[in-house]
Amino acid sequence: MATVKEEDSITEKILAIAKKNPKGISDKDISAAFPELSPADRVTAINALLQQGSFDLYNQGGALIYRLKAASSKQAVKGADNEEKVVYNLIEEAENKGIWIRDIRRRSNLAMTQLNKVLKSLESKKLIKAVKCVNASKKKVYMLYNLEPDRSISGGAWYQDQEFESEFVDILNRQCLRFLQQRADKIKNNPRGPIFGRTQSYATAAEVQKYIADLGISKITLDVEDVITILNTLVYDGKAESSVYPDGSRVYRAIESLIPAPGLVQVPCGVCPLVYNCCPTGLVNPQDCSYMTEWLE
Amino acid sequence: MSHQLGSLVSEILNRHFGEIVQKVGDDLFSFGARPVAAIAKTTEIPRIKVVESLRTLLKYDLVTFEPSKNEVVADYKIVPDNILLLMRYPRYLLQIKSKHGSEAEMIVEEVLQRGCVTATNLLVTLARKYKDDREKNISIVSLKDMFISLATAGYLQQAAVAEVKEGEGGEVPTMVAVATIVPELDARTLVLAMNEGAEVTDNIYWKVNFDRFHQDFRDEIMIDAMTRRIDENAGELMRHLLMQVYLNTPPWAASSTPVPALQLKESARRGATERPLLAQFVDHYLRVMEENGCGFVRRSGDASGGQFVVQMQRAAKETVYALLEHTVNERLGSNAARIFRLIRDKKYIEEEDIRKHAMVPNKECKELTYKLMEHHFISVQPMRKAASGGGLVKAIYLYYINLHETAHTARELCYRACHNGLRRAAAARRAHARLLDKQRRVRSVVHSMRVREDPQQHIARVEETITPPERQLIQSVEKQLKQLSTAEIELDKALFILHWYFMYKDN
Repeated sequence: MATVKEEDSITEKILAIAKKNPKGISDKDISAAFPELSPADRVTAINALLQQGSFDLYNQGGALIYRLKAASSKQAVKGADNEEKVVYNLIEEAENKGIWIRDIRRRSNLAMTQLNKVLKSLESKKLIKAVKCVNASKKKVYMLYNLEPDRSISGGAWYQDQEFESEFVDILNRQCLRFLQQRADKIKNNPRGPIFGRTQSYATAAEVQKYIADLGISKITLDVEDVITILNTLVYDGKAESSVYPDGSRVYRAIESLIPAPGLVQVPCGVCPLVYNCCPTGLVNPQDCSYMTEWLE
Repeated sequence: MSHQLGSLVSEILNRHFGEIVQKVGDDLFSFGARPVAAIAKTTEIPRIKVVESLRTLLKYDLVTFEPSKNEVVADYKIVPDNILLLMRYPRYLLQIKSKHGSEAEMIVEEVLQRGCVTATNLLVTLARKYKDDREKNISIVSLKDMFISLATAGYLQQAAVAEVKEGEGGEVPTMVAVATIVPELDARTLVLAMNEGAEVTDNIYWKVNFDRFHQDFRDEIMIDAMTRRIDENAGELMRHLLMQVYLNTPPWAASSTPVPALQLKESARRGATERPLLAQFVDHYLRVMEENGCGFVRRSGDASGGQFVVQMQRAAKETVYALLEHTVNERLGSNAARIFRLIRDKKYIEEEDIRKHAMVPNKECKELTYKLMEHHFISVQPMRKAASGGGLVKAIYLYYINLHETAHTARELCYRACHNGLRRAAAARRAHARLLDKQRRVRSVVHSMRVREDPQQHIARVEETITPPERQLIQSVEKQLKQLSTAEIELDKALFILHWYFMYKDN
């Protein structure tokens, strides 16, 4: 046991040196860093590392150079054939944005059937995963198994299994509005003047985020960015206005519409779906319109 | 001059003047300017009746005339905008009553009813009418003073004068507008005229200056908007500001001449007992209004403590947007209103970006966008790339709001709603004509019996001729009619906002 531990500590030390020198290390570098290491131990350690696939071996100007491989690619190498490696590398390159199957085929020059087989085998090894894209529901992209999909792919906090959660957004929207409305009245008749009142009625996105987090209505934690998106929907609802503080942070304030509900929407015709078919004569007419009768009663 | 407007105008004429005038109005609306003979021919109404109706219409400024080509006969032309004002009469009365009291209301009411009238005639009739009314205690002298103050404030103006051009051989006079000169009425002659019916020669005719009322309505909209957006003090400051603007700017200018802040401070100080906060923080309020007041007010310079400009055109635009947003919200739901505002905010935007910002599910978002298109609330601008072989080049579709067109849509919708309301009211009146007539007769009988001081028993017996079910029915009909007329006034308010917006040509 003791020798195994010792060996582990040696390999770890060598790995640490290799990490410091991404261009590669030679035998000399190792012996300079580890004067106490005997050449025999060094050879066994390096052999073990090479076997694990942690190192690539290069011949540079007559001297042997060991270079550290990227940590993840060493897993793929295990028991994989060349096609799998190529496909794996392509997927790895795409990072958390993912890569479309057609792009893989084009860049790897593999036949569709073969590629499918390769992807399946990689998937079964849990090296990669397929993620549905929110923008185009049919488009699948592949990425490494351990990666969190990018916002543009998963849609961020507002998507669950690629489904937009409108109810969640609505609830957040309402809560944000409530928070802003609690402050909105401070501008009215503020004894310290309207500018002071306005500052009090403003809320920054961070404050709103804290309020939402304290409420505990969201299972996932929301970023300030997410809250800003919600606050912006309030602005588009006409229920809030936004402004910028001198330090560049956005602030929000609940407002009312400039005019009360106009007459047009108070009468049934203003909201009637049949208004464009309505005529003094004909089946749809104002004289015996049932919407109007209802309204008049 | 849409079909919708035509049917609304026709319905209003029918309501106020009856069927014959309605027919004449319809004819004028569909054919444009034409002489009496032509009207008589197409409407198949006897010439004398046509002339009568035209006379009525002319009296209320609902029709204008000008010499036709041969300069012997006159062509008559309908003025739909003025006809729409007939719906606004109750609002004028309410406005003048709340501002100048019930005496002013009486004067304006009388002038509205008569179309145009001379000052002495007006005052004498009014004084005679209320001579016996002890409660109101109205004297001709106080009426005269009120008349003069109304004329000074511009609510009444001199009617245009007919002038026949000499030497051109034409017999058709042209109407020439006259600058209003506030008259000096002699109280003694008025009293004499009232008591003894002495003749007073007075050939200056007066009519109501609608424009002045409209300025008041506009100011109120702006003050209300500020009150809603900021607080009552800001509304009050807006009132002071608009008061200054009234004095130094032509009424419907796109933006006012600058008002110095010093003057505003002065007027705020005068109202300090009522609004101490405003007097204390005038500068602060001005700044908040400038920054958070939807651009109603803009700082234009720093001279004499800051100069402020009221941007009327901008205010009209913002108000119309608010109106449209309400309309979209009620017609297509709050998510559609969100998309509408989003498009407004981004000016030109792609469908994909709408979805991203609006936070509405993909499918619903598309559906609502297309519905907004269908209802003409938004427009689309395709951007095609230059032809470059292959059909793969996708055109980009940008959505935007053409406010002018959208406002038009809303106006048409208002016309439609108004027309339907009027039509419905007319139908209700027709359906229950017998009952309403009976009630009217009973009322007049009861009234005359009360005057004669008949015993209560007799009066009760007459009143009983209306049976309880009838009474109930009358009540429900009256309630309906009342609701319809309230709706009419509300719709007219919306029309006013739209009209205000269309007043500025270069929108």
